[in-house]
Amino acid sequence: MVKTIKEALRYLGYRGQEPDLATLHLVETCMEELEGQVQRRSLWERYPLTVGGSQVQLGPLRIQSGQLARHLEECSQALLFAATLGVGADRLVQKYEKLDLTRAVVLQACGASLIEAYCDRRQGELARLFEGEGLLLRPRFSPGYGDFSLEYQRDLLSLLQCPQRMGLTCTEALMLLPTKSVTAVIGLARESARGNCRSRCSQCQAENCPFREEERS
Amino acid sequence: MIPWKDWGKRLYFFDGAMGTMLQQAGLGPGEKPELWNLTHPQVVQSIHGAYLDAGVDLLKSNTFGANRLKLQEQTVPVIEAGVRLARQALAQAGREGYVAMDIGPTGKLLQPLGDLSFAGAYDLFAEMARAGEMAGADFVLLETMSDLYELKAAVLAVKESTRLPIVATLIFDGKGKLLTGGDISAAVALLEGLGVDALGLNCGLGPVQMLPLAREMGKISSLPLVLNPNAGLPRSQGDATVFDVGPQEFARTMVELAREGAWAVGGCCGTTPEHLGRAIKLCREIIPRPVADKGRTVVSSYGRAVVLGKDPVLVGERINPTGKPKLKQALREGNMEYLLQEAVAQQQCGAHILDVNVGLPEIHEAAVMGRAVQEIQSVTDLPLQIDTADPVAMERGMRVYNGKPLINSVNGKRESMEQVFPLMKKYGAVAVVLTLDEKGIPDTSQGRFEIAQRVVQEAARWGIPKKELVVDCLAMTISSKQDSAQVALQAMKLVKEHLGVCTTFGVSNISFGLPQRGQINAAFLLLALQAGLDAAIVNPGAQNMRQAYDAYRALACLDENCMDYITRYGNQEKPQRPAQKDRGMDLAQAVLHGLKEQAVQAAKLALQEEEPLEIVQKQLVPALDQVGQDFERGTLFLPQLLMSAEAAKGAFGVVQERLAQKGGDQPGRGKVLVATVQGDIHDIGKNIAKVLLENYGYQVVDLGKDVPPEQIVQRVTTEKIPLVGLSALMTTTVPSMARTIALLRERAPWCKVMVGGAVLTQDYAAQIGADAYVKDAMASVRYAGQVFS
Repeated sequence: MVKTIKEALRYLGYRGQEPDLATLHLVETCMEELEGQVQRRSLWERYPLTVGGSQVQLGPLRIQSGQLARHLEECSQALLFAATLGVGADRLVQKYEKLDLTRAVVLQACGASLIEAYCDRRQGELARLFEGEGLLLRPRFSPGYGDFSLEYQRDLLSLLQCPQRMGLTCTEALMLLPTKSVTAVIGLARESARGNCRSRCSQCQAENCPFREEERS
Repeated sequence: MIPWKDWGKRLYFFDGAMGTMLQQAGLGPGEKPELWNLTHPQVVQSIHGAYLDAGVDLLKSNTFGANRLKLQEQTVPVIEAGVRLARQALAQAGREGYVAMDIGPTGKLLQPLGDLSFAGAYDLFAEMARAGEMAGADFVLLETMSDLYELKAAVLAVKESTRLPIVATLIFDGKGKLLTGGDISAAVALLEGLGVDALGLNCGLGPVQMLPLAREMGKISSLPLVLNPNAGLPRSQGDATVFDVGPQEFARTMVELAREGAWAVGGCCGTTPEHLGRAIKLCREIIPRPVADKGRTVVSSYGRAVVLGKDPVLVGERINPTGKPKLKQALREGNMEYLLQEAVAQQQCGAHILDVNVGLPEIHEAAVMGRAVQEIQSVTDLPLQIDTADPVAMERGMRVYNGKPLINSVNGKRESMEQVFPLMKKYGAVAVVLTLDEKGIPDTSQGRFEIAQRVVQEAARWGIPKKELVVDCLAMTISSKQDSAQVALQAMKLVKEHLGVCTTFGVSNISFGLPQRGQINAAFLLLALQAGLDAAIVNPGAQNMRQAYDAYRALACLDENCMDYITRYGNQEKPQRPAQKDRGMDLAQAVLHGLKEQAVQAAKLALQEEEPLEIVQKQLVPALDQVGQDFERGTLFLPQLLMSAEAAKGAFGVVQERLAQKGGDQPGRGKVLVATVQGDIHDIGKNIAKVLLENYGYQVVDLGKDVPPEQIVQRVTTEKIPLVGLSALMTTTVPSMARTIALLRERAPWCKVMVGGAVLTQDYAAQIGADAYVKDAMASVRYAGQVFS
């Protein structure tokens, strides 16, 4: 099964169980419809980085977050990264919320799966780009993870000029719009991380989150 | 109107980037460039000065993002200073030039996709434009726009609050798409309709990449172009962003760009006085191409434009309450679902435009029209035909419409023209012209032609070109006057031949009162198409209409290589086997398997033998219970749960109809209010809970998303609702959930509150004072069971 479909099923609550044919077909057609509507875009900028205690100075941006600081240990630079599937995905979900809720829910899961896959792909490309400089990429760390406050969403968006450059905005409540979008800090280090590269879910406080991934061993 | 004396006679030159120049002067990343109007006025003015020295005529004030969302109470002072600095630079240079009040996008996404309302965007732009005019700007430049709806709000705001000319430029990607999905054709249609003075492209692309888009725009636009490309594409170099096209290369490409119908060119991000200086030297002698009216009759939505005149189109007529009791009832109850289903079904049948008529005597038509237009646009990208006799409803629909609509209709009565033409001038639209006047509908084709002629002439006096009119010569039933088809067709031919305007017919009236109407309709459609009909208002789901249309296009060489015809009918050669009736499946099975059609059929079948309530108790409820338990046990998953819920909902509908006929009603289990709290605009989780609660017999009051505490409390107290379900997706909106609960405790102490959503936990729920945390939709059903037991 294609990885993005597997991942979409996980968002729908499947934990490795085989979906019945009807559900699988539904997920596949949703994925297809979504592919026709998404406009993937991403942006990144590189900034110098200093970390002291729970303070992170990322280019012009000062961030107070112990967990981000730990995550960026040994990094001397970091990338600010943003990616989105565009408004097409949201438009599709909104449409089916009014017409066919099941389809809306499945599209929602497919969108979540596609944006993660897209971020992973972009991150892979960036990893190859920085390999030449002898730099390794840390996993993405986003506002809202652990004690990295969502309040920094606005700063990240404005530093990268996301609204003009990729149509990525946020609401008053700091929710990213289009919703199938990601912003993140990606550390750049000379060496691979020691012990602080756990799965992103393990650093999140939403312990009851139905989508929480088990710790990777 | 742009009053500059050489406008169109010689090329005008905009300046280049302000932001890039400010960064070179020390503006930090993330710092707001507009604030430098107050903190570093001499720097801003000297940049304007440098551009003037390079030879530009048109300065953009440093006010791109100077809106209230970003600058709050500093908005107006920053704009005043920004325009003043440009004016001073001009005065110092001592030569002719003009200052643009520069306005960029709000940086927010508009509803329904985002949280900024159309009216909210309008207010932000109106404040900017007013301040710019007061400070002495010569015109308004709306630039870097990537959302046509936001752009419409901006143009209306400038038009309604200032007297300044408007230039609007958009940012497209290399494939000619806006960030919000629109294309060049849709953008040009909207802007021409709104009556801006010039339109074009800026930012996003370098001059080379802009060239093909400018060419496309020049081909269809009847307005002069303004082109302000970047200095190539941005890329990171070390810690800085650099642009890859140097002044010399920029200048060379600008020569080509300027020849694509531009009346003004300049630069955007990364361009410097040197870029502009060199471009001006090379482009100075280019004489702008005169702009011809392309005469295109075009309507649009946010995502696509439909051109009338070359290839006939189908206008779906199904969204109209006449003769449709179910739609009438839905409209009276404010229920949009029926209407949305019709919209999508007609699109699937191949309609190109959808007629929207919500006229019922007992409803507030303007309000319903506004809502219907917005709701329909959230499920389809087809352009709409706003169909109403009420000018207030027409204006409401046109204002909130995302695009340039068709409107139905204007006619030869003076009053009608005086009502409709100003709306067309203001919002832009193509109007259907009915050939009737104060004296009624003429019996002769000549009479109808003369009315059409009068309307076309009168429209021209209002400044509305004939390309914005589509004449309907009124096909009336042949059962009362047999020559009506011939009269209408003859009139249509006269209109086409002598007035050169597009035509439309409401086709199905022709057969009213006759048996087998479809045959007459299809034959008339063919005759009309052959006579040159451009837009047929039909039921696109009616097979014979569809077939006549497809066959005509193939025969008339409009369907190249008959590809559309083959695609549609090619795989239907073999007679299809009649669909198997799932006779064997009983209601419970259908619900368990989430098969809605079968569930509805099974319920109908069961009603022949059993009492409605018995069906509910013995079949529906046990099936639902099993699905719920399987979900809780983790052997059945959310999509299946929802499919079963939808199947059960269909069956309940059938049962309830029978109950209603018998004069009874299914006894409800109790009333539950659900809402997504203020600040949160995502409500899919709440919607899932709603469907399940309804399934289990609860009467659900759904207040939607982003709901203020007061609104929830008011509804709970007036209806004495015993249970409220609140949903929040973001940590940032949990405080508004807490506020809602506190207010409920104070004013509605009887009310229980259950909460759910991605960020909530049992502890968190207890902390904010909720009675229960429900981890998923089934849990909300279980808790409701406890409350109402």
